[in-house]
Amino acid sequence: MKKLFTLLTSLSLLAFAQASFAHHSTNGIYAEDKDLELKGTVKEWRFVNPHPLLKLLVVDDKGVEHEWDVSYGGSAVAHLKRRGYDENTFKPGDKIIVKGKPALAKDIYALLMEGSNPTHEDGTPIVKTSPNAGLNFGPGGPPPAPAGR
Amino acid sequence: MKLHLQTFLTKSRTMLASSITTAVVALAANVPAHAADAPTLNISGVWQFGQCADGSRMGCLILQEDDARLTARAKAYRDAIDEAAQPKYDCGPMSIPHMWTDPYSHQIEQKEDRIIFTYGKDDVVRTAWLPNANHPKPAKNEYSYFGASFAHYEGNALLVETTHFTFDPQGLNADFRLASSTQKKVVERYTMEGDQLVLEVVTTDPFFLKTPWVYKVRSNRDPEPLALPWACDYEAARDILKQMAPQYPQDPAVVRLPE
Repeated sequence: MKKLFTLLTSLSLLAFAQASFAHHSTNGIYAEDKDLELKGTVKEWRFVNPHPLLKLLVVDDKGVEHEWDVSYGGSAVAHLKRRGYDENTFKPGDKIIVKGKPALAKDIYALLMEGSNPTHEDGTPIVKTSPNAGLNFGPGGPPPAPAGR
Repeated sequence: MKLHLQTFLTKSRTMLASSITTAVVALAANVPAHAADAPTLNISGVWQFGQCADGSRMGCLILQEDDARLTARAKAYRDAIDEAAQPKYDCGPMSIPHMWTDPYSHQIEQKEDRIIFTYGKDDVVRTAWLPNANHPKPAKNEYSYFGASFAHYEGNALLVETTHFTFDPQGLNADFRLASSTQKKVVERYTMEGDQLVLEVVTTDPFFLKTPWVYKVRSNRDPEPLALPWACDYEAARDILKQMAPQYPQDPAVVRLPE
């Protein structure tokens, strides 16, 4: 079972440019040019401002479990509510898959999840609305909300 | 005695008439000022995050870290102050004009003597006083995070001028540690174009800006109310700091005040 939730770091580190999501506030924190997929177990979900916190337990390819901070960047409760999230979106023990940009720093287990939605193990989305739901941001979707505020 | 009483009554009537005349003249004198200030603009309501009118989405709202408008002082301060010391990690709000950079809706309430701006983040409520409020100007030593705002209508526009900001380490941009001084002045001009709210902002700061920072954004009405209270959470606000190396490791570790 653990293998099912094994960290797919080496397999899914895909480097492709995503200039539209580059934001300077995450400079030096996340690898903007890398994508990472994590399969893990929800440890904690706090639907709070300024940024909801998702803690995910992920077992790496050596069988070691790490706690990952999964960040929605600058998104706050108001933004995520419009996308269909609430305080019950995740429960401890849920098995989920998330995609995003990994932290640059060594031994920091953090992922910036922007522009994608988490899914259940079978790939079905946990939240079914679009990332742009409820906001008329026009072409290109919402602007990248800065992290840390 | 009768004569005295009649004289007294006559004098009283004259004084009363004079007082009434004075009051009427005073009221009449005030009418044009109030009439000129009568709002012909209806911008009350909740508005979505503004998008730059120049098509740059949020580009116009952001002073980049090496923006040509920044003074050498601004850049030196940016390099000296560390990220962890920014008030945002203590749930400190952004002030104007940087506040509008964040993608949150905001609410405008046009009252008879004031305009109330409620921002969808940080529980920020600003009051801009209209002339008929006769609200006192701030004292010389009176500074605040959001400054002192005074508004007036000019035709179909609402103008708001704000000064008396406190020194703010994130006053021009919280992402790049761009500060603003007590000499910052922000002028907002609100108009309507069709169904859209247009906000033009001119910011000057002789300490940190060489030239005015001017931008124009358009907003659509937001059918949803603001999601308040904000109820900032310290742990959530500071979470990202765990991923940053301290800029001054030689200093004692920062122990923040208890909640």
